[in-house]
Amino acid sequence: MENAAFLPVAFEVVLLVGALVVLLVAVVADRDRRWWGPVAGLSFALAGAVGFLQWREVEETGGGLFFSSLDVPVFRSPMVVLDGYSAFAAMLLAVVGFVGLLAAWDLVVKVGKRGPEFVVLVLLAFAGLHMMTATPNLVVIFIGLETASIAFYVLAGFVRTSEASKEAALKYFLLGSLASALFLYGVALVFGATGSLSIYGANSIRNFFSTVIVAEPGILLAGMALMLVGLAFKVTAAPFHQWAPDVYQGAPTGAVGLMSAGIKVAAFAAIGRIFIGGFISQIDAWGPIVAVIAALSMIVGTFLALVQDDIKRLLAYSGVAHAGYILTALVAGVQGIGPMWFYLATYSLMVVGAFAVVSTVAGPDAGRAPLADFGGLAKANPELGWLMSSLVLGMAGIPFFAGFVGKVLSFTAAASVENPWPAGDNGYLWLVVLGTLTTVIGLAFYLRIISTMFTGQEPELQTEATLPIRFAVVISAVVTVVFGIVPWPLIDVVRDALPL
Amino acid sequence: MAEAVTFGIFAIVALAGAVTMLVAKNPVYSAVGLLSAMFALAVMYILLDAHLVAMVQVIIYAGAVMTLFLFVIMLIGVDNPNAYGPRPVSQSIVTWVVAGVFFAAIVLAGSGAWVTGSAAFGTADLNGTIENVADEMFGTWTIVFLSTVMLLTIAAVGTIALAYFTGADDDEAAA
Repeated sequence: MENAAFLPVAFEVVLLVGALVVLLVAVVADRDRRWWGPVAGLSFALAGAVGFLQWREVEETGGGLFFSSLDVPVFRSPMVVLDGYSAFAAMLLAVVGFVGLLAAWDLVVKVGKRGPEFVVLVLLAFAGLHMMTATPNLVVIFIGLETASIAFYVLAGFVRTSEASKEAALKYFLLGSLASALFLYGVALVFGATGSLSIYGANSIRNFFSTVIVAEPGILLAGMALMLVGLAFKVTAAPFHQWAPDVYQGAPTGAVGLMSAGIKVAAFAAIGRIFIGGFISQIDAWGPIVAVIAALSMIVGTFLALVQDDIKRLLAYSGVAHAGYILTALVAGVQGIGPMWFYLATYSLMVVGAFAVVSTVAGPDAGRAPLADFGGLAKANPELGWLMSSLVLGMAGIPFFAGFVGKVLSFTAAASVENPWPAGDNGYLWLVVLGTLTTVIGLAFYLRIISTMFTGQEPELQTEATLPIRFAVVISAVVTVVFGIVPWPLIDVVRDALPL
Repeated sequence: MAEAVTFGIFAIVALAGAVTMLVAKNPVYSAVGLLSAMFALAVMYILLDAHLVAMVQVIIYAGAVMTLFLFVIMLIGVDNPNAYGPRPVSQSIVTWVVAGVFFAAIVLAGSGAWVTGSAAFGTADLNGTIENVADEMFGTWTIVFLSTVMLLTIAAVGTIALAYFTGADDDEAAA
């Protein structure tokens, strides 16, 4: 009964059960007592425990492929894969979901009777996000992507009284649908070229590449390019980033950290799974393209962040630059997976924490959050000021903060590639040099946030953070500092978080 | 030969329908364009021996979904198709250039195509009868079939979240 295993899909099942419990109880129970918070927290805790069990299982048995039916697997495509990659994604997504929901709790309180719906959307979205990382099948990746995206479109427009929120939701929806369609088109073309939708298994894309010499890869290249564009949109890599600043700015602040961190973790994991897991033999074709996208992201993100006056737009453009740093790791192929996970694990929590602080100062349902409003925050509330400073320094990549370690790992991976494009054996050295330069330039706007907080007027805005937000910010700041000073435990873990 | 001719005719119908949907000023014409594209696709599916999918295409997409579209168009009203004003010329030039480049790239890639050895990698039995489709759907693809439930739940919850609890129940309005 090997195929009847429950553990590989337990993450999704736990979150789905949590969501259904909230939905069903919300019909009959009193909506004024906000009991759905503990239910959602418990679901994420259980999901994290499931991720840990999956990790243990992979360590013991090496993981494996799982099928939908019990008959001879040779004739079927595997639908679920359990490996270090999916297990690490499960643990990371559970943590991001939990901390993200803490950071969004002010917003949940604010939306009143629609709280259960908010929580259900978050739970189901994270189930979809994990689905993207734990399947060898391109169609399942697409369904996971859509599940998460549709939930996030709704979260972006959750505050109905705000025009900015509605505009953000519509913009996100229209552009996101286009990106999803491009991804699906790419999946169809890859299926046309290889005759398979599955990355692993008897009838798989990997098998195809190991038995067939690809002479004229026309359709295959088009398919790969379209899939890359679809996923690059989701991770806000330039030049597919234009939606991000508008959506981040318009969407209710409480939900932005959750949305942006969650989708980035899963979409980068999907890029790694598809391109490094499936198309690793074609790395000469896609490697240079990813390198160019990474370079563009770093340049565009850094320089446009310099001129922003709104902290949400600033964080959006800084996210574009960070997408570039993570893609820099991925051009290295399999060696880049560990650095990618380290970067994602630390960066996703920094984003959640930073937006939690923004949500306190600007208001959880606010659209705009001018940087000037942060003047004197560190004087009015030193605790919040210092925590935010450590998060911002982490993003900037200052030594002894986790962002620095992530960048070093990512650049080292990129520099170690043999025979990259353009011809030469110095690795993607040009990309590393560019990354270092943009990191230094990026200091300007990160330090601007800090200097604004430590100087300037006493703000009249809200500076007293609620308990859930303080938890969220403390957790993310601790992760940033601890893994900045002692990164080795996490590095050891991500070294094993490889796809099958 | 007959297959190639049928394919050619309905490929033109499908393309014409799709283009009509995009460029028609009147939304009802757009809907009819979409309808003809869907019918032409159904014929393609029959050519590929996917009988069940062809029927599903006609009954669900051309039937139910299009009816829904038409209802929505009628509810919104078809009298003022230019309510949002004309698009700036620069924008539409960019649109056509980008679309043209995209289309050219796909044609280029497709014409340099090396197409799969489906003899080795495709399934042997391609007859899309109900039995075969059911075997695939509830055999290989059960998990996908079930995951779409999650997708539909999200859609329903999202709709409720955006539309329900208005008026007296709305906390935002009260605040």
